[in-house]
Amino acid sequence: MPQLNPEFFVSQLFWLAVFFTFLFVFLWRVSLPRIATVLEKRQNKIDENLSSAKELQEQAMEIEKKINDQINKAKLETDEKIKETINALQEDVSSQLSSLDKDLEKKVSDAEKEILKSKDDQMKNIDNEIANITKLTVGKITDIELSDNEINKVIETHKGSFN
Amino acid sequence: MAAKDSPLKQFEIDPISNIELGGYNISFTNSSFAMLITVLVITLFLTLTVNTRSIIPSRMQLISELMYNFIAQLLSDTVGDNGKRYFPFVFSLFMFVLIGNMVGMIPYQFTFTSHIIVTFALAAVVFIGVTILGFVNHGIKFFTFFYIPGVPFYMHPLLIPIEVISYLSRPISLSVRLFANMLAGHTLLKVFAGFVVSMPFFTGVFPLAFIVALTGLEILIAFLQAYVFAILTCLYINDAYHLH
Repeated sequence: MPQLNPEFFVSQLFWLAVFFTFLFVFLWRVSLPRIATVLEKRQNKIDENLSSAKELQEQAMEIEKKINDQINKAKLETDEKIKETINALQEDVSSQLSSLDKDLEKKVSDAEKEILKSKDDQMKNIDNEIANITKLTVGKITDIELSDNEINKVIETHKGSFN
Repeated sequence: MAAKDSPLKQFEIDPISNIELGGYNISFTNSSFAMLITVLVITLFLTLTVNTRSIIPSRMQLISELMYNFIAQLLSDTVGDNGKRYFPFVFSLFMFVLIGNMVGMIPYQFTFTSHIIVTFALAAVVFIGVTILGFVNHGIKFFTFFYIPGVPFYMHPLLIPIEVISYLSRPISLSVRLFANMLAGHTLLKVFAGFVVSMPFFTGVFPLAFIVALTGLEILIAFLQAYVFAILTCLYINDAYHLH
């Protein structure tokens, strides 16, 4: 078995020491730091991106909150305005209604007064007409000339019956 | 079986150039050449693929990063935060064994991890390093590592020697595991490769198919053994920090 032949033991050990030491020092000083740098750089980049993403998310949330606040504020304001307008309108309507009512009342009372007045006028006229008609009728039928005073006296006594 | 046909012939070391230093033979051999290839592959791959240092990695860079993270994860899972200091060593060890095994899977290429002296040297470095680490961290208290708490006192005369032996056999089990796996796999491949040649005409297809399947298995084992080597190193480092 060639492995147990000590002829080349020293040579093997020597070259193993040389090559392994070289490999170890080279990897330790050159290769591994390079890879470590790359990995670290990548990790930093990832962390950076993550933190900036988080920051942006926070900003977005803040903006969203602001928007919501403003929407709420606007809603409240609009509600207020609507309420105000409704109140104003209601007041307006009620005041107009009351003034209309007053007008109408006034007009109704005026009209009533007018009617009463014209009724009175008519009543007076009716007395005259009745007197005239009575005078004419009596004159025609009986040829008796009645004086106005007589006729009026009779009418006065009977007035209550056709009122 | 003639020596030139032996399935163990692939493990023979051939000097490429003869060098002597202070009376010792330190010839540059096919084993040293395989180590050179391994080191070159690792260093070039890990350096060139990460050359651009892209935030969004290329596929090759991703492989390097995956290896890095694989061992970093392994170390932090087994040792925790203390393990970061040993990351370059464990990573070098893992890559050296892994690529050494993989280079060995190339036909006609020498597999240096199939030599007990190499794996034992690596395991010895781990063992000695971890033992020193244990004494540095705990001083003389490190010996309480062999004392298992919560066991009836009359068991200790039995358990303490067992613990000591199991501790001392760590480098042996660590090195023999890797060495034996590589030795067995490559020998098996060679044996079946011999069948391909020696069997009558078309029946040689069957051992050939077996070799194809076995090569897949061997690549898996090459990775697995490197992983086992690395994870055991991590566990030993952990033991040097946390006694029972």
